[in-house]
Amino acid sequence: MAEAFLVAQGLHKSFNEHKAVNGVSFTIYKGEIFGLLGPNGAGKTTTIRMLSTVLKPDRGDVTVGEYSIRHDADAVRSLIGVCPQELALYEDLSALDNMVFFGRMVGLDGKEAQAQAMAHLELMGLTERAKGKIAKFSGGMKRRVNLAIALMGYPELLFLDEPTVGIDPQSRNNIYETIEGLRDKGMTILYTTHYMEEADRLCDRVAIMDGGRIIAMDTPYQLKGQAGSPEQVTLEDVFLKLTGRSLRD
Amino acid sequence: MKVMSRALIVALREVRTYLRDKADLAFSLLLPIAIFTLMYGAFGGESMFHGTAHVVNEDQGGTYSTLFLKRLNELDNLDVSLLSWSEANTKLERSDVLLVVHIPEDFSTQLTSGKSTQLIFWQRGNGGPEGQIVASIVQSVAEEISQGVQAERQVQRAFLGKGIGEDQIQTTVQKLLERERQSPIVGVSEETISTAADPVNQFLPGIVTMFVLFAITLSARAIVEERKKGTLERLLTTRLRVGELFMGKFLASVSRGLLQTLILLALAYIVFQIFTPLSFIEALVVALFFAAAGSALGLVIASVVRSEDAASWVAVFFTMAMVMISGTFFPISEGSVLYIFSKLSINTYANTAFSVIIAEGGSLTDVGMELTVLAGVTAAGLILSRILFKVVPGGK
Repeated sequence: MAEAFLVAQGLHKSFNEHKAVNGVSFTIYKGEIFGLLGPNGAGKTTTIRMLSTVLKPDRGDVTVGEYSIRHDADAVRSLIGVCPQELALYEDLSALDNMVFFGRMVGLDGKEAQAQAMAHLELMGLTERAKGKIAKFSGGMKRRVNLAIALMGYPELLFLDEPTVGIDPQSRNNIYETIEGLRDKGMTILYTTHYMEEADRLCDRVAIMDGGRIIAMDTPYQLKGQAGSPEQVTLEDVFLKLTGRSLRD
Repeated sequence: MKVMSRALIVALREVRTYLRDKADLAFSLLLPIAIFTLMYGAFGGESMFHGTAHVVNEDQGGTYSTLFLKRLNELDNLDVSLLSWSEANTKLERSDVLLVVHIPEDFSTQLTSGKSTQLIFWQRGNGGPEGQIVASIVQSVAEEISQGVQAERQVQRAFLGKGIGEDQIQTTVQKLLERERQSPIVGVSEETISTAADPVNQFLPGIVTMFVLFAITLSARAIVEERKKGTLERLLTTRLRVGELFMGKFLASVSRGLLQTLILLALAYIVFQIFTPLSFIEALVVALFFAAAGSALGLVIASVVRSEDAASWVAVFFTMAMVMISGTFFPISEGSVLYIFSKLSINTYANTAFSVIIAEGGSLTDVGMELTVLAGVTAAGLILSRILFKVVPGGK
């Protein structure tokens, strides 16, 4: 039986009167890629913010490894890496300086941060641009640096919040290969995306959120099976069937 | 140790960004230096007055008006500008000049015939500071001529009927008066004791505190920028704690304020020579306390604002309010309402401490109360900013 690495139990979070997350529970097993899907406003970002210790839940708890985000947030942060949806980079610094800076923030010393930064930049195909300013990078290159920073310190659990949004196919493919490589090395990954084919390709299991709740959770194959023949139905069909076709802003 | 190390890394990154941002550097360093240059131009050059006497002479070719203008022209600190009546009127109307000396048409005739006459000062208001000085110089020249005329008359009266010609008397009296003018019995000489003019002592602390406060409260944008870029949330998913982040921002802001003060005070040291080595170091200690207090208040602003525009406007408003109520550029009388309000401004304490050290030759022991207040504001600002800070609404 796979070992549970992240356990979310009964998470609730409200902003004023709005219930952003309303009783979310799930488990992510060690070494799996877990997809968190949902339309805009479903509560994915709030959930990730709670899992990554940025927000405290109103109710419920999350344990990562053996640590609770309520009582051992510092220990949880030592296990996680976060690649946010925004390009959370310092544009005035070089790619290498960005990575070394965040490396120091996760507790690496200068030499180790430098070594890991170069290794991750190589993984992303950016060695030659290591000393180039982020401001001069293309969108795809920035996305790759954004992901590379999350790998600093070799976290055991990686949160990837729409890491491929708005980039060219080459960069996207590079990111897919990197993520698959990380899974092969045993890293646990929570992945959110709006691209259903991406979730289908990468995720071992997916949870679909809507209205602050998880409305379905299974392997992509099983989910597709609930809507028809898994070979003919796409994950997008399942998603639209579950969340409806009305626009979400 | 690691806690301090992460705060220092954050601070170093901030300082590097500051030093690379040309616009920021220009605002915080070049603008004060430019103001300094203006100050030097205004106060650091000639120590004696130099002005212009604007004159309407309606007694063209008259003996005494010619003599009067010749005497004015001989003065080193005065230029004479001759105007027609209408030109003078227009310039006075437009406030191009505030005082015009009018020589009436019968000026020489009246004096020659032994009657009294008057020069007239046309002026707007009190004539302005320069006009008042010009007026008193003109008056002294007029008195000198008047005394010469009186001396001539008395000598003529004394030698009346003794066979000495009027021309001979006039020439002899004029020669005696000229000799007196060249070598007066009571003379005045100028001796410059120091190049430090009082206005420098008066305004330097204000300029230093205003610009430093401006720059460090503008660093309130730093947190908002992190928030906008998304780096704030990312940072707070690392081992970095909010307290360390704030300490890093605080240290960066203090370094920035201190660097700025160092440059301004060093310029003052070199250009105006208003420091001794000890007083220079003491002024830097005051700057450190002031930069710390300003930075802590900047962090309070940073904790509550949600956009860069809001951060800038609040910082500008805050700085101007601190400057205005502290009486930085105008005196506040003790016991007035503004005097009570001035106690709420950190600039008041910094200005006082700087003034004691720069202008009054005091030492750090004389400004203990001011430094204590600034240290207290620093502590309160840091605590308050931490209490008010939220990563996202409802967050930690």
